Amino acid sequence: MATPPPPTGTLASAAPATPPPPPTGTLASAAPAPPPPPPQSPHTPSTSAVKSEVHAAEAAADSTPIVAAAAAAAAVSYTITIPSCSGWFSWDEIHETERRLLPEFFDGRFSSRNPSVYKYYRDSIIRQFRAQPWRKLTFTEARRGLIGDVGSVRRVFDFLEEWGLINYTPSAKPKERREAAAAKEEEEGETAERKEGPKRLCTNCRSVCGLTCFTTDKADIILCSRCYVRGNYRPGLSNFKRVDNMEELKTEWTDKENLHLLEAIVQYGEEWKKVSEHVGSRSAKDCVVRFIKLPFGEQFLRPIEDGEDNGPNGSYRSNDEVAAEHGGESLKRRRLTPLADASNPIMAQVAFLSGIAGSDLAEASARAAISALHKVHIEKSKFTNDIKLYSKRLLRRHNHSSRRSNKMWRNHYQILLKSR
Amino acid sequence: MRSLTLWSSKAPIKFRMPTAENLIPIRLDIEVDGQRYKDAFVWNPDDPDSEVINFAKRTVKDLKLPPTFVTQIVQSVQAQLAEFRSFEGQDMHVKEKIVPLKIDLRVNNTVVRDQFLWDVSNFESDPEEFARTLCKDLNIGDPEVGPAIAVAIREQLYEIATQSVSSLREARAGKKGRRGADTFNRPGNSALDLVKYFGSKGSVIRKRKDWYLYEPIVDILSNEEVGALDAREELNAR
Repeated sequence: MATPPPPTGTLASAAPATPPPPPTGTLASAAPAPPPPPPQSPHTPSTSAVKSEVHAAEAAADSTPIVAAAAAAAAVSYTITIPSCSGWFSWDEIHETERRLLPEFFDGRFSSRNPSVYKYYRDSIIRQFRAQPWRKLTFTEARRGLIGDVGSVRRVFDFLEEWGLINYTPSAKPKERREAAAAKEEEEGETAERKEGPKRLCTNCRSVCGLTCFTTDKADIILCSRCYVRGNYRPGLSNFKRVDNMEELKTEWTDKENLHLLEAIVQYGEEWKKVSEHVGSRSAKDCVVRFIKLPFGEQFLRPIEDGEDNGPNGSYRSNDEVAAEHGGESLKRRRLTPLADASNPIMAQVAFLSGIAGSDLAEASARAAISALHKVHIEKSKFTNDIKLYSKRLLRRHNHSSRRSNKMWRNHYQILLKSR
Repeated sequence: MRSLTLWSSKAPIKFRMPTAENLIPIRLDIEVDGQRYKDAFVWNPDDPDSEVINFAKRTVKDLKLPPTFVTQIVQSVQAQLAEFRSFEGQDMHVKEKIVPLKIDLRVNNTVVRDQFLWDVSNFESDPEEFARTLCKDLNIGDPEVGPAIAVAIREQLYEIATQSVSSLREARAGKKGRRGADTFNRPGNSALDLVKYFGSKGSVIRKRKDWYLYEPIVDILSNEEVGALDAREELNAR
């Protein structure tokens, strides 16, 4: 899962739980350690993790005299919020997400483009933004103060902006903000986010992708066929996969949609309206249908009524109770588990669920699933055998008849096979 | 043919910047309808051409320049890129040349003057890292000074690289007429005579009387001085 889910209704700006330390008057004072993020306030159950840090003091001590003076003069305290999908960010480390989305700094091709340079760009840009968080930091301002080639600086800047680590201003109501964010993006057109839903924009030339587009795991960008053929993408990208737009949009669920669905179900339970809102591009009915079809879907939520046959359901009723508990616990300490490998949708779901559910349950589920699949396979082969026998008998019986009716029976046979 | 002098003339390689990354300096000085836009930055020539247009649009938008600047910026950047590319196919000689580079620039309120020796044959060198360290060591507050230093270094290195291409070309042309083996073994005007410095009689430690030459100088100007200098530059430009 390369791009973050667009800022959705799960986020709310929290008032700072701890009072901010007063900004230091002189610049000579040592930089205070960044205040630890306030603990999750228990009275906002429906929101996911919000990290708010107050940075006026930190910025005043760390940044240059010019910037610090402005910060100290202007604001006493300002709550910086970042979307929950970027909760992994930490000043001291470089996270897997960053390594994955900006591989140029981590593949060791150039000794001068290395993780410490990346950290320097990232930290400088974020500090510069947080020194004046009420205004939008432009790329030109940022790159003018950074020593490096403007291409790589731009990529880091775009990455930070896309993940809301800079230039991110949440508004009060989640829906408003989603609209505001969408309007902002359309208006400015700076971020190269992929638009979900029917239209897809090429990240390069920003034209609407027609029938096919190309995407790669490494960078999560979409290229229209023209850009791909012409090579209009940044160097270092390979392994492009062709994605056909038309069918995928109507019938198949994307990784992102699956992820949203599962998140929403854990969070909202059976309120399909809210689930469908969280997923975005699918109706409540679609969500229910999809959820039922998921391999682990039903077990996860509650004990199953044995309406339909399903071997594994009966066999681990006890595990369902454990699952409910785990689900409850995970609600409290809600974190978005980065998916190990987003390219295979099944593995992505499995990784996500096992992260939430815990290892014991995951193991039991896996074993049960294997036995269930085995049974299903046997049943299926039995069924297809039956079909074959039946149709063979039919054909033999009507072998002597005219060609026309043979064709009829052949069609009949085919229809039977398709319906299974 | 192997030369036995101190300058080990290795086989010529294809033209490129003698730094770890093949980045080129770009300088812009555009004036449209009385509005002037001056800028200098480092560019990666491997970035696709669409990057140029995107960069121009973004810059114009961020700086709130009139849209006529976009085409001007694109043209200027592309011209400089084209010039770089015109050298690219050709050979240049990698000589062990240690060259003094000079920094003499003013960015906003800060004046920096410095001189140091640079090994042009070191293809792992990193002007950006040098600029970062210099700014940190000299406690330069203004963040815009660093990029200016990096660009200045790159411009000088670019100059040296292009010179070596043309000198190689001349030498080759010259060889047909006469034995030009000496011409490309002679150090360039600004290169150091390594024998004198690192030979048996020399020492790597700089003489005390030369210290002042190589000391960096950082000056912070007052706003009036800056205003005066700006006005003088404008006059000179016209």
